[in-house]
Amino acid sequence: MFNDTVVKEIDDIKSRYPDRKSALLPSLYVAQREFGWLSSEAMESVARALNVPESVVRGTATFYAMFRHAPAGRHVIQLCTNVSCMILGAEQLVDFLKSKYGLTPGGTTEDGRFSLVIMECIGACGTAPAMLVDTDFHDNLSEKRIEEILEKYK
Amino acid sequence: METFLLKNIDSPTSAEIDEYVRAGGYRNLAKALGMTPKEVLEEVKKSGLRGRGGAGFPTSMKWSFAIADPKFPKYLLCNADEGEPGTFKDRPILEKNPHLLIEGMVISGYTLGAEYGYIYLRGEYPGARDILDRAIAQAYEKDWLGDNIAGKGVTFHLAVHQGAGAYICGEETALIESIEGKKGQPRNKPPFPVNVGAWGMPTIVNNVETLSNMPLIMEIGGEAYARIGSADCPGPKLFSVSGHVTRPGVYELPMGTSLRDIIYTHAGGMKNGKKLKAVIPGGISTPVLPESGIDCAMDFVAMPKAGSMLGSGAVIVMDESVCMVRVAHRALKFFEHESCGKCVPCREGTDWLRKSLERIEKGEGKEGDIELLTDVSGIMSGRTFCPLGDGAAGVVLGMLKHFRHEFQEHIKERKCTYS
Amino acid sequence: MITLTINDKEVSLDRPMSVLEAARQAGIKIPTLCYHEALKPYGGCRLCVVEVERMPKLQTACTLTAADGMVVRTESEMIAKVRRGILEFLLINHPLDCPYCDKAGECELQDLVNKYGATAGRYREEKRKVPESHKDHILTRNMERCIVCTRCVRMCNDVQGASAIAMMGRGGHTRMEPFSSASFNCEYCGNCLSVCPVGAILSRLYIHSFRPWQVDTEVETVCSYCGVGCSMVVQVRDDLIKRVVPRMGLGLNRGLLCSRGRFGYEYIHSQDRLKTPLVRRNGKLEQATWSEALRHVAERLTGIKKADGGSAIAGIASARCTNEENYVFQKFMRMACGSNNIDSLSRAGFAAAQKYLEELLGQGITANMIEGLKNSEVILVAGGDPGTVNPVLGLAIREAFRRGAKVAVVGHARGLERFTSIRLTPPLFREEEFLEELLAGVSRVRGLRGEKLDVDRGIRAISDAYPGISGLEGFDELKHALLDSPSTSIVLGSGLVQHSRGHRAIFAVAGLTYLLEARLYLLAERPNEQGLIDMGCVPEMLPGGRPLNNHDYTRKFEEAWGGPIPEEDGMTLMEIMEGAKEGRVRALYIMGDNPLVNLPGGPLIEEALKALDFLVVQDMFLTETGRMADVVLPAVGWSEKSGTYTNIERRIQLLRKAVGNSSGMEDWKIINDVSGMMGYPMAYEDAESIMDEIARVSPLYRDLTYREIGKGNSLWPYHGEPLRGEIHELPAAVNGTGSYTANFYLAPEKVLFHSGTTSRHSQALMRICPEPVLRIGPAAADTLGVREGDRVKVSTSSGSGEFPLSIDRTISDNRVLLSNNFEGSGVLRLMSYRLDPVTRAPGIEGCEATITRL
Ligand SMILES: Cc1cc2nc3c(=O)[nH]c(=O)nc-3n(C[C@H](O)[C@H](O)[C@H](O)COP(=O)(O)O)c2cc1C
Ligand code: SF4
Ligand code: FES
Repeated sequence: MFNDTVVKEIDDIKSRYPDRKSALLPSLYVAQREFGWLSSEAMESVARALNVPESVVRGTATFYAMFRHAPAGRHVIQLCTNVSCMILGAEQLVDFLKSKYGLTPGGTTEDGRFSLVIMECIGACGTAPAMLVDTDFHDNLSEKRIEEILEKYK
Repeated sequence: METFLLKNIDSPTSAEIDEYVRAGGYRNLAKALGMTPKEVLEEVKKSGLRGRGGAGFPTSMKWSFAIADPKFPKYLLCNADEGEPGTFKDRPILEKNPHLLIEGMVISGYTLGAEYGYIYLRGEYPGARDILDRAIAQAYEKDWLGDNIAGKGVTFHLAVHQGAGAYICGEETALIESIEGKKGQPRNKPPFPVNVGAWGMPTIVNNVETLSNMPLIMEIGGEAYARIGSADCPGPKLFSVSGHVTRPGVYELPMGTSLRDIIYTHAGGMKNGKKLKAVIPGGISTPVLPESGIDCAMDFVAMPKAGSMLGSGAVIVMDESVCMVRVAHRALKFFEHESCGKCVPCREGTDWLRKSLERIEKGEGKEGDIELLTDVSGIMSGRTFCPLGDGAAGVVLGMLKHFRHEFQEHIKERKCTYS
Repeated sequence: MITLTINDKEVSLDRPMSVLEAARQAGIKIPTLCYHEALKPYGGCRLCVVEVERMPKLQTACTLTAADGMVVRTESEMIAKVRRGILEFLLINHPLDCPYCDKAGECELQDLVNKYGATAGRYREEKRKVPESHKDHILTRNMERCIVCTRCVRMCNDVQGASAIAMMGRGGHTRMEPFSSASFNCEYCGNCLSVCPVGAILSRLYIHSFRPWQVDTEVETVCSYCGVGCSMVVQVRDDLIKRVVPRMGLGLNRGLLCSRGRFGYEYIHSQDRLKTPLVRRNGKLEQATWSEALRHVAERLTGIKKADGGSAIAGIASARCTNEENYVFQKFMRMACGSNNIDSLSRAGFAAAQKYLEELLGQGITANMIEGLKNSEVILVAGGDPGTVNPVLGLAIREAFRRGAKVAVVGHARGLERFTSIRLTPPLFREEEFLEELLAGVSRVRGLRGEKLDVDRGIRAISDAYPGISGLEGFDELKHALLDSPSTSIVLGSGLVQHSRGHRAIFAVAGLTYLLEARLYLLAERPNEQGLIDMGCVPEMLPGGRPLNNHDYTRKFEEAWGGPIPEEDGMTLMEIMEGAKEGRVRALYIMGDNPLVNLPGGPLIEEALKALDFLVVQDMFLTETGRMADVVLPAVGWSEKSGTYTNIERRIQLLRKAVGNSSGMEDWKIINDVSGMMGYPMAYEDAESIMDEIARVSPLYRDLTYREIGKGNSLWPYHGEPLRGEIHELPAAVNGTGSYTANFYLAPEKVLFHSGTTSRHSQALMRICPEPVLRIGPAAADTLGVREGDRVKVSTSSGSGEFPLSIDRTISDNRVLLSNNFEGSGVLRLMSYRLDPVTRAPGIEGCEATITRL
């Protein structure tokens, strides 16, 4: 369950909307931050904090692609392979992540350092291919650049 | 051309309120507050502004409906979901010029009689989140937001609501569901959001770029604005250009600039001197155009006549090396992934199309597959709950119209001839 | 008036509706899948597309509002093509396993494909694979068959309000799942099951055991579990109940059922049913023939009557028996045995409150339609959880809440947890003071009504004693809500009646009802609590609620019944028990109840029953009480007999016979025969002939016939005349309070999945809820240092028991709850009682308990 600081943070979020249920998405982000992923306990905590049925929390959470329903690595790589990125080589980068790091879409490296999520367009098409590592944008990717960038995430 | 929406964005501190004010920011809001809401609406009407989110609906008309509804409070929602693949035009405003958007939203809120606004920001823009939060805090501090804006007793509150990875939430009724804490599935219309929107109240959903045009309309007046670009859909327009061009990026150009000009004059032409093969002109939901089709004016009126749509103005340029079956397959993978699941034709149709295209791409296509794709798309077209499914079908039909031979080749040769 | 044209036919509508409904009204059928009459339109399946003039695209009829002048076509080549396409789409991922699927024969998709579908599909890709889930005891989930119409989820969220299931995931990966993704762990109403158009949700109770077309008979009847009286259809094959289904639009429940009603029918075919009469010989119960047993009963009763007079005989009637049976029973007691000692276990709740309320406010004060709850602006719930005691009535409250009504709950009502706007937590067991305070507060503003002077006097006394203000949470909000409300309902449960100061709570509720002109509802755990009273199964009243001491009434009945009615007043339930202990009552005849388990004061009741010279028990099962009897007579139950029940609205409803394979006899028939042997022949032919007599003699059921009842609208008073209020006793106003400072108090828990002795013989209900657990609030659990699932020992002054423990966060005080529904472990056994001086109901509040971890 959430500790008092988090409960307060959620109360704060609630106050931004005319209806407490609207705080569901932001609260799920908070829960994901606190628990690392949306475990049953995480979703139950949200349900309790907002007084929303658990089934509604889970139904909603599983609708959105950015909520994780399994534990993830320390860093989450979100790589775009949509058309603009694809035609500039994003799919080769997926292969590269696999051969170099043993990282497959939806998977996590053995050492728990990285997880990979394939994205639908992250709005960096002008500098494709692109990815997010955690909340940082990285673009104009090549195999070499990926290697350099990932060095920085331990 | 002199830019307005992207003015000053090269400065590293362009998102700071002091810098924005120094460059003339919030002056237009002050000007609007000196007029009556009705007068502001009149200017917007004269400007001929059409929504930049993709559908091109006349903004002043949408506003008038909401204004006419006697229910209060009203809500102003800024659509910053920017989910259409290929589109990254709102991002520079959100990250580099957030005060332009805030100023535009306060002007709009004042006009509409809406005292609460939310920016529905896509989850994939975590950086913009921080920037917007900071900008909003600054605007509150300087009384450009709050209960007594500019000492005029005008109220407008603003907060950011972050999406979590669902393209459909760009659709305005799905966006409203999502902001209410539900799954982003479109609602029945009518009632329209302008009457029964967020939390059951009159709600206006406008795109980032649309709202960011308000300061300009205030500055130069509706009439002058209406003289920019195309006559029937005027104003500056942001085009995001990606793919095989020399200088991809966001360009602020008059509405109606030709597709050829955008590619060859502004984006520097084809990269590495390769031949242009196809262009998706308005984001992935708009039908593809072959090289021969790019002499068209990019606006809401001309593009449908040219066999596609302006959409979000996201130009994806593909050179001769690109396999169209693969593009179609990738596009359908996107639609299948993003179908919200509410209606049968979209949910099942995108699944079917994607699987068939995957097979064809892999060289496992069969006789009759093209007819099947045509048929399945045909059943979907116009029968889905919202335009997402229509878009998916349109993409396949567009591909088959201009690049049927590539599909035939794949089926006949049982392999891809491009890779 | 809206007039539109559908398929060249002019259709006029008297209210706004969708094109689909307009078409249906005009007898034009449009195919649908996601549409369901009980749910809001969804527009997902797109099968209902129609052409509308001046609209460019096809429109979905279910979501399109019919407008004046619209011109609609529901069939065309284009429409047929789209429908064919949609059905083809639906089948691409739907398995073609109809030969194996239980739904075949009543599957909406199958039917539509037959009518509109293409002959062969063109889909050659792989189908989505999702394994069928059998993780739940009651429901299987086959999500390959699911067509994502969301009817189940809309039912569960928007109507049932359980919100136990949701559509998980997105797009083609959408599936219906319960929160835990395994077992449903929900209210098990099964209403999702009723609305699923395909075989995606199926009941495990009859899995692969029959096909819809193999049903031999379908019988429309009412539920046997609670006082709501939901209508249902029993489907029978080979004289076995195969399933119970609701019928949309039928009855006051309009197609909804709760878990007990839907899944609790198996007790009828239980192996544990009594198979022959039993007679005690040499201290042992032994099998006997009917004639032996009946003669034995008649002889013994005659003997005792002769020796000690009728008043040495007492009878306990049952709220599970029909009006006809209860009528015959009291007539037998009065006329054949010569005793007015007739009461029922309803005295411990419903009957006590009902009688006192009628004395105060006049007969019929609780005769209000459940539908009226839905339209209330403020609903005050006190002393019980409608969601578990009367689930379908609970749904009406949930609906009102969703519509914006304010719902206020005194104490603890789990089923309304998410449907409460004003939570009130008066000090434990002192709820009556809170209600009196509220009454004082309301009367300060409203003044008195001046219609019932005695009630006014009582209210004035309370107003004088209380300031009418309270610092307690929710008090002011509730008071103002009540004063502002144009339409108020008050729901009273037995929790406040089973209290040694219960009459004060009841008076306060009566006062509020009177001042606010509110509708009053009494929760009724059993199906015929009201009918029982109407039939005269109370010591001081004859059928129709006519007081015994009024000679005008008595004479009429004596004429009809052909003999004198005993004059002396009868004993109430607990007085009968005490009388038995003291030897004043020598014989007790119990029809369909189990007082040893269902009454507090276990040791005393046992002693009382032991002290009897002669005990007869008529039941379906050999109950704890039956084991002490001298003669046990096997009865038949619901669905094995016909008759009527009177529900809490005082709607008289028909119970119809559906199966007849048990060896029991109808209760009325047993009594009829014994009575004859005792020299008072009644000679009824069937239940209907009894009702004919009731309709002749009861001033409330005048001219009532089965034909009329069958129409479903036989509401109280049926052509009859109610009595005006006759006040007997006013509360002794503010006669002291209790003080409750112990660590734990034991209190009975009402369980949604059980009710009385029958439900424990229903396997499905036992699988949903298999054992008694002790429920305790989180704070109390912390103090005790116990965790979920720990085994604990509970001891009271009357006994002790060991149970697994469960932490229930809806309990916020120091109450520990235990159910009374499991064999050998009832909570009431552990409790002693003190009688309320006015209602004579046993008060069981403040039962101190100690809890130790094992
Ligand atoms: C599937 C779908 C996705 C959409 N995505 C977006 C989006 O990401 N951003 C946006 O501004 N509008 C999007 N729209 C358009 C919106 O529904 C709506 O028309 C727009 O927000 C209105 O704003 P405007 O009038 O300023 O254009 C989308 C529409 C559909 C049907
Ligand atoms: S059984 Fe009732 S509560 Fe459970 S899922 Fe179905 S509708 Fe909901
Ligand atoms: S019944 Fe109208 S869309 Fe399903």
